[in-house]
Amino acid sequence: MTRDHLEIRPRLAAVRLLRLASVATVAIGAAALALISTPAQAVPSFARQTGLACEACHTIPPELTPFGRRFRLNAYTLTTRPPLVSDIDDHKRNTVWLTDLPGMSILLQATYDHWNRPLPDSLVPGAKSQSDDFQFPQQMSIMYAGAISDHFGAWLQMTYLQNTGSLGIDNNDVRYSDHTANNDWVWGVTLNNNPSFQDVWNTGEAYGIPYFPVQSLYSATQPLGNTGMRAPIFTQFPGLAAGLGAYVWYKDSIYLELSEYHSAKSGSAIANEDSSNLNVGGGTIDNFAPYWRAAYERDWGYNSAMIGTSGMYVKFVPSVFAGQTLSPGNVNRYLDLSVDWQYQYNGQHNIFTFLGHYTHENQENDPGLVPTYFNNSTDHLNQLQVTGEYYYNHRYGGLVSFRRATGTTDVPFNGGTGSPANQFEVFELDYLPWYNAKLLLQYDLYNVVNNNQNPFFLLGATNPKASDNNTWVVGLWMDF
Amino acid sequence: MDGLLMGKLAVHSLFVAALALAATVVRDAPAADLVVPHDPSALDATMLVSNACSKCHGATGVSISPLFPILAAQQAAYIDTELKLFRQRARSDPHARAFMWGIARGLTDDQIDGVAQYFSSQPPVRGTASRNPALAERGKALFENGVPAREVPACNICHGANAEGLGTFPRLAGQHRDYLVTQLQQFRGQLRESEIMQPIAKNITDDEIAAVAEYVASK
Repeated sequence: MTRDHLEIRPRLAAVRLLRLASVATVAIGAAALALISTPAQAVPSFARQTGLACEACHTIPPELTPFGRRFRLNAYTLTTRPPLVSDIDDHKRNTVWLTDLPGMSILLQATYDHWNRPLPDSLVPGAKSQSDDFQFPQQMSIMYAGAISDHFGAWLQMTYLQNTGSLGIDNNDVRYSDHTANNDWVWGVTLNNNPSFQDVWNTGEAYGIPYFPVQSLYSATQPLGNTGMRAPIFTQFPGLAAGLGAYVWYKDSIYLELSEYHSAKSGSAIANEDSSNLNVGGGTIDNFAPYWRAAYERDWGYNSAMIGTSGMYVKFVPSVFAGQTLSPGNVNRYLDLSVDWQYQYNGQHNIFTFLGHYTHENQENDPGLVPTYFNNSTDHLNQLQVTGEYYYNHRYGGLVSFRRATGTTDVPFNGGTGSPANQFEVFELDYLPWYNAKLLLQYDLYNVVNNNQNPFFLLGATNPKASDNNTWVVGLWMDF
Repeated sequence: MDGLLMGKLAVHSLFVAALALAATVVRDAPAADLVVPHDPSALDATMLVSNACSKCHGATGVSISPLFPILAAQQAAYIDTELKLFRQRARSDPHARAFMWGIARGLTDDQIDGVAQYFSSQPPVRGTASRNPALAERGKALFENGVPAREVPACNICHGANAEGLGTFPRLAGQHRDYLVTQLQQFRGQLRESEIMQPIAKNITDDEIAAVAEYVASK
């Protein structure tokens, strides 16, 4: 869309269209996000391959122990099993190495969700709307997870989601790794489709809390599956970008990584669009977006502590309105900088975990899009997430997680009051009859939600409030 | 397209396919060892160390994380004994259950022997100097004299004057402090089986564990 084209549009019409676009974006974004962004979990095919118990790699699935992190950094390759097929040519080169057991697993989630406020009946004209969801499965994944050869492994996940009724590509991570003879340096290359999915700590977005997000059958409420509200841009490309990264892991303590992400520029294919709730209707990464990560971990006794930093710089081409052509001349520049931390106590009976991250996002808006689509030339977003967990004997426990986002007011961009602020807490009680099965009771409490991201506002409910979205979740998670 | 032509084409396609298959078979035939029988013994000790042991214990038995013991120059008989205990699930401390039961489950006696020989023949690692000499000095006294009043024998009787171990008594010198502390606590808490170490550890205090670990790790 050209700048001239933008300017001849009457302001009122633009605002109305913006509102419409927001709804469409939320719906489309929700569908795409729901399709792609499902939580990472424990994978029994690793156990089949290694013979290790779940608790070798996980405190409580999917959170990783120090050993679980090493297993992943070593490209999922640890095994005592011989290759089924191997061949070495005349030059002593290993030409093929196939494992004897394909690393297949199934992940199953079933859920019952109850909203604090029923959806307005007007949603379905003439009919009383159903507001609780009972989904079996909420999602089901089939995955290959494990070694491919002696230095090469993969996590390839396909997921069916009931709220979209479709099967799609979920998190993918293919990696190669090797180490020096004395094991001081482990190095690797990762090819993945979701910035931060490759990370081995659970402080980020792709491999972090919430592990069991609400996924409503009514897609317009999806944004409040506690992932869909305004969030830093690096979290907004699950399955929508391809990244190639290289990392080193020094003396089991220092981790450094540099990756580059790219999404195909396309004017029409939703699959290539950012599915975020950037209210201008999504867009794509312009050229390559670098992502970097550094972390320091120290393990002693039953304790493991990490402090780290990460960031991503994205030149982002907004598509202005969902479904309309991109405007290649308009580029917004995002810089995300995060610090994150994790402490684990993984004792004989008790497991304590304290983890979180703080992200500051600086967003420079293209002058051509100001003031029609962005009020400010520069916007900021700050996100804080803090989580505490306790489990006893790997069997009983729970977590409390707090997330808060604040930032600059920008009415055209954020809609509603113009504030990007949101805040919610997750309270969860878990019972694990076996390590690979979890029964949970979760309550999501919303304190702050921008109207423009509140489905009750968008659906025209009277006096919409953040708390309308509070949700009880009864869930079952199984992995086998 | 009539049926005859279809038939000819089909026969032709089959012929080409058969030729291609034959060519493949002929080309691959010399590689008699292409298919390795499904037998864990197909992995020799070097491959086992590379594909499994080294991920935690290091390629030369020098682990970096204190969660995993250093195995370099460990007594072969000790490694042999422990691996067989893991395989029988007769040693059931939490780490043994989580890690080593699975790793050892399919190992043959030959593999166990190979791995034991491999690690025992690696050069020993020198302990890190103690940052708390007073504590290490106290540990030295415990190591050499025990605590006669509580019937705790001296460690060096079995583990050697320099904690180098002997036979099924493991080498302790240069081991990770945290690992030593954890093991002593687990003997004391009866989480790790040992007819010898459980009665000994029963009578020692946390301070004494810290002291003796400090001394041994620094050797």
